[in-house]
Amino acid sequence: MNSLERVLAALQNQPTDRPAFFINASLYGARLTGAHLDDHYTQAEVYAEGQMAIRETFSPDLLISPFFVPAIGEAFGSPWRARPSQAPNTVQFVARNAEDMLKLPLPDVDSHPRLLYLRETIRILTRKYAGEVPIFGVLVSPSDIPPLVIGLEAWIDALLFQPEVAQALLDRLTPFFLDLGKAMLSDGATGLALTSNLANTFIVTEAIANSLTLPALQRALAEIPGPVIFHHGGCPLVDQLARFKGLPNVVAYFIDVGEDLGLARRNLGPGPIVMGNLSGPGLLHLRPEEVTALCEQAFDQRGEDRQFILATCSADIQIDTPAESIAAITEAVCRAGGAEA
Amino acid sequence: MERNHTQELLSAIQHADRAGANAVIEDWARGRSFSLAVTELLAPTLEAFGEIWSTGQGGVSLATGYVASKVAEDVLSRVLLESDTASGVAPSRGPVVVGNVEDDFHPLGRKMVAAFLRTSGWDVRDLGVDVSAAQFVDTAEACGARVIGASAMMYTTAKNVRKIREEIDRRGLRGKLQLALGGAVFKLRPELVADFGGDGTAASAVEADALFETLRQRSLGLAPACGRRTP
Repeated sequence: MNSLERVLAALQNQPTDRPAFFINASLYGARLTGAHLDDHYTQAEVYAEGQMAIRETFSPDLLISPFFVPAIGEAFGSPWRARPSQAPNTVQFVARNAEDMLKLPLPDVDSHPRLLYLRETIRILTRKYAGEVPIFGVLVSPSDIPPLVIGLEAWIDALLFQPEVAQALLDRLTPFFLDLGKAMLSDGATGLALTSNLANTFIVTEAIANSLTLPALQRALAEIPGPVIFHHGGCPLVDQLARFKGLPNVVAYFIDVGEDLGLARRNLGPGPIVMGNLSGPGLLHLRPEEVTALCEQAFDQRGEDRQFILATCSADIQIDTPAESIAAITEAVCRAGGAEA
Repeated sequence: MERNHTQELLSAIQHADRAGANAVIEDWARGRSFSLAVTELLAPTLEAFGEIWSTGQGGVSLATGYVASKVAEDVLSRVLLESDTASGVAPSRGPVVVGNVEDDFHPLGRKMVAAFLRTSGWDVRDLGVDVSAAQFVDTAEACGARVIGASAMMYTTAKNVRKIREEIDRRGLRGKLQLALGGAVFKLRPELVADFGGDGTAASAVEADALFETLRQRSLGLAPACGRRTP
């Protein structure tokens, strides 16, 4: 069984030779290749080599385009910076508020160099792994774009106090989101992985989620011609799954660190895959045997549930994480399937 | 029946109703003063709100906390207007320094903390985002602050807190200058506060006042006469 077959079997609630698993090793690829991060996050070939090295070393069942949302901010004009051991961060916002952002031109997904970089990583990985490993394009939902362009404060301010402006901005951003998502799929991505933190009531009020951000998300996802993984984005998700379940085209829900996989299934009901619940950044401080224990705890929580993918969540695995701690996940998964790592 | 302004204000904040909250405060301050409203109405309400927020229950979102900080700023603006026409001024509890650590560009939490601290009478020196360790300690020394509040959202940037700890220690200010830490990463992993050399943290922005007071008292206990212009 190859990785694509394994993931499809999980989706279809069919048995697999071993549980599928995913590690968010977008940054960690640079550790394996030794690439400078400025190259890793600007040259598609360099990034793709990192994902190939991740695949060779740890055998995860899904690979991703760069987990690099500041690239989307850059497409609107907000600069980012990569420090020697960190994934890039948006360091300045190009517009002051939602009204100013409404005046910005929408980036062209077919010509902006950073968006082309994201797309080219998908093309390279697809050429290498077609029919073998699912490749997911990473992006953010329309409501999560403004924090990259005007900052979270200005966006929350608009959602709270200028709902008509916020609605206009969501309407304006949705076509861009759709263009980028469809382009990634046409480049060969198996599906998309995205966050929607501004639809989560950990971040916004129920009134905002119900009237603005969740409807915008539903409308946008309905037009995505491919499967979608819904990522918790750093917010707790399990208690909100009743709100998010049934989102159009969403085939998997990615829960937060340590959230209960069994509870997630009960809240979701049958159908979508549940992904989680290991901490990506937290691996840095864990010995391999501690990682093993967390994997086994996750397997216990999922019980007989076949629609489960063990995954690191939250942010990237840190670049100075010992490889042995990541390999412990591979080994735990193989043991769960009765195979050698 | 007499109005329960504290309960009304708490309810308005919990519903993210900034205008409603300001109307409650306006009504309470009629015939009194806005500076009195800070201590007798807003402070106890924010304390109750902070308790609800820190439990993770009660449906308090980041946006609700943001509204609370805006209401605090609104009241402070009224206090400043009042102080131009009367004798009412916010009480000073001494200077404190806040900022986002080097490489951190997530200002919202820090701004909320600054608003709540100002409401509580602190003289807040807000250094903004991407603040170096030297900038934090230079400013604290210059203004005589007993507490630095450093904010970080992610683990990668939170590691730069260690540089502030080292800078404080290198200048012989350990104990005299206390280091408060805040931000999402410390809320999720409070053990990092000690790992990175912090002296304390709070579960929510509203509770920063109590934390800073605890740390200030600790500093005064350890070094009653330290620093230039230290109150």
